[in-house]
Amino acid sequence: MNFFKTKTSSPKVEGRVEGVFKVTGTGKYSAEYHLDGMTYAVIVGSTVPAGRIESIQLDQAKQVEGVLDILTHQNRPQIPAFATKEKLDKSGYSLPVLHTDQIYFKGQPIALVVATTLEDAMYAASLVTATYRKTTANVDFDGSHKGVDAEPFGKERGTMAAWASAPHVAEAEYTIRHEVHNPMEMHATIATWHAPGKLKLYDKTQGVNSVQQTVSRLWEMPKENVEVISEFMGGGFGSGLKVWPNVPLAIMASSQLKRPVKLVLTRPQMFTLVGYRPQSWQKVRIGADKSGKFTGIWHQAKHATAIYDNFNEGIVRISRMLYDVKNIKTEFATVPLNLSAPTWMRGPGDCTGAFALESAVDELSYVLKMDPVQLRLQNLALRIDPDTGKPWSTNYMGECVTKGAEMIGWGDRKALPGTVKDGDWQIGYGMAVGMWFAGRQKASAAIRLDKDGVITVETAMTDIGTGTGTAMQNIAHEYLGIPKEKIKVKLGQSTLPPAPSQGGSTGLSSLSGAVTAACEAFKSKMDAYASTAGEQSSPANYSLIMQKNKLTEVLAEASSGPGEEQKKYAFCSGAAHFCKVKVHSKTGKVKVEKMASVVDAGHIVNQQAAANQVSGAAVGGIGMALSEEQLTDNRYGCLVGNDLAGYHFAVNADAPIIDVDFIHKTDVNINPTGSKGVGEVGIIGTAAAIANAIYNATGKRLRDLPITPDKVLLS
Amino acid sequence: MKPFDLLRPSSIAKAISAKQSQVQFLAGGTNLVDLMKKHIATPDALLDVTPILSSQITGSTETLLIGAAVKNSSAAMDKLVLSSYPLIAKAILAGASPQIRNMASTAGNLLQRTRCPYFYDTTLPCNKRNPGEGCGMREGESRMGAIIGHSEHCVAVHPSDLCIALAALDAEVLYTIAGEKKPMVIPFKDFHRLPGDAPEKDNNLPQNALITGVRIPKNPFSKNYAYVKLRDRDSYAFALVSVAAALHLQGDRIVEARLASGGVAHKPWRWYQAENFLKGKIPSAEVFAEAAALAADETNPLVGNAFKKLMLKGAIEVALQNCLTA
Ligand SMILES: Cc1cc2nc3c(=O)[nH]c(=O)nc-3n(C[C@H](O)[C@H](O)[C@H](O)COP(=O)(O)OP(=O)(O)OC[C@H]3O[C@@H](n4cnc5c(N)ncnc54)[C@H](O)[C@@H]3O)c2cc1C
Repeated sequence: MNFFKTKTSSPKVEGRVEGVFKVTGTGKYSAEYHLDGMTYAVIVGSTVPAGRIESIQLDQAKQVEGVLDILTHQNRPQIPAFATKEKLDKSGYSLPVLHTDQIYFKGQPIALVVATTLEDAMYAASLVTATYRKTTANVDFDGSHKGVDAEPFGKERGTMAAWASAPHVAEAEYTIRHEVHNPMEMHATIATWHAPGKLKLYDKTQGVNSVQQTVSRLWEMPKENVEVISEFMGGGFGSGLKVWPNVPLAIMASSQLKRPVKLVLTRPQMFTLVGYRPQSWQKVRIGADKSGKFTGIWHQAKHATAIYDNFNEGIVRISRMLYDVKNIKTEFATVPLNLSAPTWMRGPGDCTGAFALESAVDELSYVLKMDPVQLRLQNLALRIDPDTGKPWSTNYMGECVTKGAEMIGWGDRKALPGTVKDGDWQIGYGMAVGMWFAGRQKASAAIRLDKDGVITVETAMTDIGTGTGTAMQNIAHEYLGIPKEKIKVKLGQSTLPPAPSQGGSTGLSSLSGAVTAACEAFKSKMDAYASTAGEQSSPANYSLIMQKNKLTEVLAEASSGPGEEQKKYAFCSGAAHFCKVKVHSKTGKVKVEKMASVVDAGHIVNQQAAANQVSGAAVGGIGMALSEEQLTDNRYGCLVGNDLAGYHFAVNADAPIIDVDFIHKTDVNINPTGSKGVGEVGIIGTAAAIANAIYNATGKRLRDLPITPDKVLLS
Repeated sequence: MKPFDLLRPSSIAKAISAKQSQVQFLAGGTNLVDLMKKHIATPDALLDVTPILSSQITGSTETLLIGAAVKNSSAAMDKLVLSSYPLIAKAILAGASPQIRNMASTAGNLLQRTRCPYFYDTTLPCNKRNPGEGCGMREGESRMGAIIGHSEHCVAVHPSDLCIALAALDAEVLYTIAGEKKPMVIPFKDFHRLPGDAPEKDNNLPQNALITGVRIPKNPFSKNYAYVKLRDRDSYAFALVSVAAALHLQGDRIVEARLASGGVAHKPWRWYQAENFLKGKIPSAEVFAEAAALAADETNPLVGNAFKKLMLKGAIEVALQNCLTA
């Protein structure tokens, strides 16, 4: 079975630049480096969710052979930015790890055991105990959000009164459970003070420059003295955008011991220490006139957050930009709980918001007795971004919808729910759209030519598995005409030209400008050398030109970022997701039979890598829709379960054939390549498409994700 | 995990004489090692029994004998199993992942412990892990919990798929113990136990006994059988409810039926009433629905898992249907 297939005639399939390194195991992930004198650290987490540490018992742990030191809030080296309350508040780092006796959530690091072997450190960590003065903890989102009012979030457009008597209205509440981050590679940091005042970190991160900045801020040291390396990543879906406690912990231990320290989170720790998509509640009211034109949207949302970190991801933004609707009111609030801090997860905010909005639009289509495809086409804001009033630079979501409908075979859908059967199975079709603002940030890149005529394209950006390196090679090849086998790529080191973190689907959009600018700078340098040498400036002559100029290397570095175009236009990537599901009437089992996603993201630099992003996101969407749920138990103030046998993200057996296609129309304004991100739009809307298909199959409207078989059976 | 010694006894006799409560047998390690990492099992030493136990599957005219060290994947691919006891292969393949099945042994599968998340977290109460501490799941997240045979002390379920097929086929567990010359036998229905007031005990295998194999009597169920497993995702997930079903048909009638379930109780559960009901009936959707209802009506779900009763009913109907078609 094809895992995914791309419809358009794609160019010859080429491997990724990092492919061989990954499959042969020669590419190094952060935890795989070995330094002389390495020591191993293991985090001890709090066993209570709220209160204060009274005492920590280390005696038994210290008896373990190989233990070098155990850091606690009582003996760790001082992090300068945590020295006073004022400084801490200003540091922007929410959890003063090992700098407080206060417990905010169960699993919060209270000690760090460092030993000469990992085995010794792990065993000793299990022997550390603590006594606490416990206070009441609250991890009950459902019970707590009722006491929190959603506040205006974004300017109200029009009025509620204007559509109070809309002839057709859909209104409902939608909820999504806590979803954890669990990329295959565990978060890990190796810290070493390799020279006085000079720190080097191998860290699993989506942004080496961001870690560099955070650490230099916390340690009040010049940025240049912090070097960060993250060359390969085993999955980054947002968990690698923040500097989690493992980083300051490893650095503190390395200061204390004056040796390199390796700290790898355990799988159970991944459930509490690297963020998650917070549990949420939403309510959407949407009205339409007789012709099906939307007259108003009222979208309210709340999600959980930590009591020590007011992370918020908005959620309601998607309602403000997707449809052409005059009256709109959006409200939002966070609900602080005794849980660790949530964070961005693929399609943050909008993915949650789109489930509610796109379910509500589907509900309205049945009220209106109108085809959901038609309803979208009639209401999408394709010319103007309704939120800013600026024209979209490009927006081909209408074409995504039309094309997706064809790919899934929308014509076979029956408008009346619950009418298509195959034995005990009920069959249905659903669709939804997704949108993500297409951001671009300033980035830099360099091109280095060696005497053999091989160029290396360099940037500090990390390739989190999206194919950034391959795209860089593709762009340099297109721009310079140098054969691909003569283009190397170097990424993920803070000593390389600075670049933003890879997140929010901005990676390629930001970097493509930098790579083309570097190509340009490189070309003009070579042109100048060529004319001195009296040679024609072409890649075939580069070695000769260098020889004649007595050069061993040519280096060109350039930066590029957004400019005037941002004032003129609004930018977005868009997608339409379609699926066919079957639902078993006796067991509640839902099977996604087929999915089709069509994405408008400007020029697609590498079709294979982009399609891979989109189909991967679709699988994430299946998990979100059908199975991902982190349980909590308010009696004990904690998560229940912390392994991947019990936390059900989707696996291959759950993934159907996923057809992916692109619109392939360049956005000439966004950046020199005309490319926009695809990482987020691939998931935004997928869960709604599946829920909508379940309704079409069964007539059961399920508004609480994940839609596990029990919910299907009981509704 | 706690440091331990790894011992490699050279014979069964040496293995059983070295066995004590703080010294545990190690087979594939896919369950025991996880429990050690989580500090739920803290043995001082492990006895690696894989090399000394049989990894053969042998058949006579009367029985099939699966050696204790036979890997789950080998059993699922064995010609004799596939031709005469195919329900066993079907159940095995519904469990875990290929990698785990490659390591998991027959004996280890029988003795794997519950996947109740309260059992797995040493900071939460669990009578099975820490007798007297209380049951976390009963009033908590009990979606995965039992719907029959549970007690106020424990609502955990037995997690195996293989064992459901073995229960349906009236298998026997063979074991040996220090001081006993002849091989000992426990019928499968008496092997696992209900929690009662001693949930720390999963089964009736005498302490320090070594399982040597599993015997399955010859049966007429190689044609009409099915294993249906309902779970939250289609691979690498434990059952919410599973059903092993087998029918012996003669002419247009059911001569004998077997029905067993996983995910519903502290042990593999046989639905004897439904089996008896099916005897002599002409198979039909209505008859199957009635049998399924008989089984479902025996259950007593917890506050958090009422759905399992409906799911069980559906799963039994589907399994019986599949016996005719699959
Ligand atoms: C992620 C995951 C998912 C899984 N999913 C499923 C599933 O869906 N369905 C399913 O059925 N199983 C599943 N399993 C469980 C798996 O089948 C068991 O872990 C495996 O069968 C245990 O066999 P083992 O040889 O590895 O046992 P071990 O882990 O080596 O031992 C288990 C226990 O048996 C004891 N023991 C072993 N051999 C003997 C012997 N000869 N005599 C006496 N005592 C002995 C050990 O002392 C230990 O207490 C899953 C496991 C994991 C980790």
